[in-house]
Formats: sequence, C-alpha cells, structure tokens
Amino acid sequence: MIKSLLRSVIALRTWIRGWRRGSSSRKIPTQVIQLGVIFLAVGVGMFLLRQKFVPETFGDLGHYRAAAVAANAELELRYAGWQECAACHPDKVETKNASFHRNVSCEACHGPASDHTNRPMRLRPELPTGREPCLACHRYLASRPTGFPQIIEERHNPVRACTGCHDAHDPTPPESIQECSACHNTIARSKAVSPHAPLDCEVCHDTPAEHKMQPRAHVPKKPFEREFCGTCHARDAQPPEVIRDVDLTVYDIPRIDLITHGGTFVCWQCHYQHSPEAR
Amino acid sequence: MDPEHLAQLESALAHVTGFIYPNEVELHWSILIVIYPYLTGLVAGAFILASLEKVFNVKELQPTYRLALLTALAFLIVAPMPLQAHLGHPERAFEIFLTPNSASAMAMFGFVYAWYLMVVLLMEIWFDYRADLVRWRQSDKGVMKLVHWVVSLGSRDVSPAAVAFDRKAVQFITIVGIPSAFLLHGYVGFIFGSVKANPWWSSVLMPIVFLFSAIVSGISMVLLIYYVTTLLRRKELDMKCLNTLASFLLYALIIDLSLEALDFIHRLYESEESIEILEQLIFGKLFLSLTIVQILLGTIVPMVFLAAARFSELPDEMKRMIYFVAALLVQVGIFSTRWNVVIGGQLFSKSLRGLTAYKLELGGQEGLLVAIGLLVLPFLILALLLKILPPWEEAKTSPEPSEAPLA
Repeated sequence: MIKSLLRSVIALRTWIRGWRRGSSSRKIPTQVIQLGVIFLAVGVGMFLLRQKFVPETFGDLGHYRAAAVAANAELELRYAGWQECAACHPDKVETKNASFHRNVSCEACHGPASDHTNRPMRLRPELPTGREPCLACHRYLASRPTGFPQIIEERHNPVRACTGCHDAHDPTPPESIQECSACHNTIARSKAVSPHAPLDCEVCHDTPAEHKMQPRAHVPKKPFEREFCGTCHARDAQPPEVIRDVDLTVYDIPRIDLITHGGTFVCWQCHYQHSPEAR
Repeated sequence: MDPEHLAQLESALAHVTGFIYPNEVELHWSILIVIYPYLTGLVAGAFILASLEKVFNVKELQPTYRLALLTALAFLIVAPMPLQAHLGHPERAFEIFLTPNSASAMAMFGFVYAWYLMVVLLMEIWFDYRADLVRWRQSDKGVMKLVHWVVSLGSRDVSPAAVAFDRKAVQFITIVGIPSAFLLHGYVGFIFGSVKANPWWSSVLMPIVFLFSAIVSGISMVLLIYYVTTLLRRKELDMKCLNTLASFLLYALIIDLSLEALDFIHRLYESEESIEILEQLIFGKLFLSLTIVQILLGTIVPMVFLAAARFSELPDEMKRMIYFVAALLVQVGIFSTRWNVVIGGQLFSKSLRGLTAYKLELGGQEGLLVAIGLLVLPFLILALLLKILPPWEEAKTSPEPSEAPLA
C-alpha cells in the first residue's frame, strides 16, 4: 500500500512539475476540468441553497434560529410564576417553601394562573380536590426514587381525600409511628399502608413498658386465638367506632363466621396480620 | 391516543417481562434501522474488496474489481433510504447539509455519505470507466449512446496520456477511499458505540467490530453477485478469483469472530451491573438470532465450510458450491448481527430489570414489506448499472495496463 501511495504521489509531483515547466503536459487534463465544473456547480448550488433556505438569524446564538427565542417570547403567557403568587399569598408561599414541597411550584397543583393574576377576583385558579392530583406524584411506582413518599391508593386510607390528613402546603405526615418502628421498621412500613394502619401496635400486642429497655427480657404478647381477630372481624362483633381519632365506621370491615371460616386454622396461618390482604 | 396505536401497545405489553419504563414498551428503532447498517456495511466491504485489487495488487481479484465498485454504488444509493423512511419527511434531508452541526454524529453522516459517494465512489468509477465510455459511445446506438454520453460527462479524450492520468487518479482515489470506507462504516459503529446509556451498545470496540463485519459482508456479497451474474451470463467462473475471495472471506471471518469474542469476554470479565440482564437477553430473546443464526450458522459453519473447501482437493464444482452456500450463510449471519445490535439493544429496560419484545409489522412505513423493498432495490439498481456500465472482461475496450513504472 505504501508503495502504491508513493507511486501516486510521485506521479502527481511529476505531473505538477511538468505543468509548471510548460511542457507538453502543461494542459490540465480535460476530465479534471469536466469534474471540476460539476463540483463547482454543486458548490455554487449549495451556496445558493444556503442563501435561500438558512434563516437569517441561524447560528447567532447557537445551532438554531435566534429569532425563535423572540417568537416564543411573543406567545401568550399562561403561567404567572410563584413570585406572582407570593405577592398576594405570602403566608402560603412561606409555609410551602419551608416544607417538603419547597420545590413544587404553586401552579403545579393549582394550574396555570396567569388569568388569575391579571383578574384576581374574577378568575380563580383551580383548587385541587380528591386524591388524584396528589397521586400524580405519590402513587406507588417502582421507578420512583427510594424514600420518596408513595402510597398504594387502595390500601392507604381508601376514599379519604389527602387533604383530610395532610396539609398540601406543608405535607409532613400528620403522625408518624416513632417508637415501635425504631426496631420493627419493616412491619411498621407494611402496616402503615395497610387497612390496619389506624391501629396502634398495642391494640394487638400487649407490650410491657420494660420492653423498650430490655426487649428480649420483656417480650410483648401476641394474639394466640381466633377470637382475638374476631373482636373486629366476627360477624356479630362490635369494634370501637373510633381508634386514634380515625372514624372506623367509614371502613367496610371484613366480617366472617368464626365457626365455619378457615376450619381449624388460626387467622395468621392464611392472613398476614400487618398487611391483611382480604377485604 | 390513536385506538390502533393503543391496541398495538396492548399487544406489546403482553410480551413484557419484569420491570420496564413506559417509553420502552415499544421499540423506536425498527427493522429499517437494522437495514441501514447492513447496507452501509456492504458498501464499505465491497469497496475494500475493490481496493485489494488496485492498492494491494491482488491480481486474482481483477474480475470482481468493477463489479465490487458497482455493488458498492448500488448499495450506497439505497443506504440512506431506510433512515429517510424511518424519520419521515425525506424532503427535509438536505437541511443537514445547509446547517452542518459538528456536535451531532448523526447530522455529520450526511457529509460522510456525500464525501464517500461523490469524492470516492463516483469519481473512482468515472475515472475507471471513462475511456471505455468514450469508446462505447462511438459504437453505441439509440438511448445507450445518449446515456453513455451523459455518464462520460461529454468526455472525448482517449489519448494515452489521458488514459494514464485516469489510472493514476483511480489509484489515488482508492488510497483515499480505504480510510473513507473505514470512516463510513466505522462511523455507523460509532453511532451505536457512543450511546453510553446502553450497555449492549456502549463499547469502543463497536466501530472496529462493525468494520470487520462490513468487510465480511462485502466480500461475501460480491462473491454471491459474481457467482450469480457469471452463471446467468453462461460464462466460466474464474476459480482463482473465487479461491482468493474465499480466502479473504475466511480471514475476515476469523478476525471478525475474534473481535466479537474479545468484546464478549471483556464484558463478561468486567461484569458490570448490566451483565445479568444481558445474560437474560442472550439466552432468552436473542438466543435464536445470536447464538444459532449469527454465531453458529453465520460464522462458524461458513468458516468450517470455507476452510474445508479452500484447503482440500475437492473438485472445482464442489468448491464453488460450498463457497456459494458459505457466502449465503454469511449474509444471513451479518443481517442477524445487525438485528441483534439494533433490536437487541432496545429489548431490555434501562432499569436493567425487564425485557420487552419487538413486534414486526407487515405493512406500514416501517413494516416488513418496506424492508423487503429496500433490500431488493439495490439489486435492481445494480442490474441497471450493470447494463449501463458492464464490468465484464469482454466489454473492456482497452487491455489491462501493465504495472506503471515508478517515475
């Protein structure tokens, strides 16, 4: 290959020398002229096309039409920006900016508010209601980052509006289990999103106060008979109406016939009591 | 959402396993993007084969020199078509030439393509055929006379000096053409190799693996075309040429397989977090197309066939049959190589936790019929080129020149 390259270079040099000296091979070969004309035509064509088709401001700011920025700026504004909201609602914005929602813009929940800021009394922004607006970010999805608050809507206080317990401007969970979850975190997390979420651990586990100091020496009691679950789930049971300020009457508590249901098995042989799936 | 599209999505969802992100259910790069590297590979491979005769002076390959150039041209003309069919709006394609974006490898493809088409391939073919075109024109009648006049750009000079200049030009362009051919197909590998988010593609070896698979595919395609066209013309096959083609095909296959094995072993040894999903991919969704078709049928079996036929005392008839079958298998293997890269790279989730499936449509813009059309089109163009620029020995008007002396 090197030999061939050398040969080509030498031939080219000889030809150029001959042409310079004005020898008989001075004339540029006709085929080169013909090709040159074609390439020149393509080059001129490209130049003319560029003149016609490349927008005037293309490349002024980057690899795009700079005038596009101005064209976009002329579009009608729909979002006002949180600073506009803060001008009239400083308390709400202040609360929000100190909470977990500090990076969520007002208009992310309340919708585009430009009309409202122009005519505050006539056009009101949206007031999100129900669960769906919150679930847009907080519905359980495996791809969300670990630790991001997520709920399974069927199991997390079904039918209740989120704002019944959470303040959207300061969404810190209203009550979080502190003591038992310090050691029994997995159980606490399962229970927190289960229908048993309103029940304190002590409802089922009779726990001596010493357990917190000497957990192995003072073990809490576990239910050991079917009748215990029957306190709430037996057909004729009359469970308390309110536990930890949660109205249990809104729940459709599953009821069973303790005598015929499940034969001789105890409840926890089929149901995981910290996340009982049957409804 | 379009109900038809929704139904498609639903049927694709049935094949999803594990966890995948919503935008990964459907593959964005379809069979057309499989065809694109397949075609460009054939172009680069065929050109490198042609350069063997001109630059490396492998005289046995002389019967396939012009055929290889025309094959490269036919495939090069079709190469961007799958991209245009995939992207839509082919009328906008020229805009990448008007506003060159050097920060985008994909946008620079236009320039690589234009350089290769206009400066390398067309010029080499033109210089090589020019004297013949002028002489054919003198004996031509009717439309062909006009066609040859247009193709020769009105050239008339067939003086020994002009013909000598043509030869030098061809040699020079071929030398420039080799790195250009490497650039053309190495670039295609670069596009995939530089997608760092995709562990199946992201590898610096990708351009080199692509390049050698291109050489393999180009040699085998020219072998097939030489075989078929010679038989159709009821001429005698040049066994020296076929044997040399088979040898080069075997050597290229060995290098290609070694590079692929190196890539595979390297991934296995690195064992990055993606290795588990890639293992599922290789032994699951790609088992047939990768292990069976690409490696076994497309590489190992042709290697054994070629080695057995090339280095044995078999009769010529038997040898060429084996070469033909081996080259055919290589084509199937190379197509599945492209398939495994393009489709395989999109079958697993970026979460590395799930797999999806590719559902090939029959009709539509990116369907099987369009794909078949794009695969058949180069052969139709080649048939036309063979008619206009016959590469056969008997069509030549001047004898092959003796070796040009060093000046």
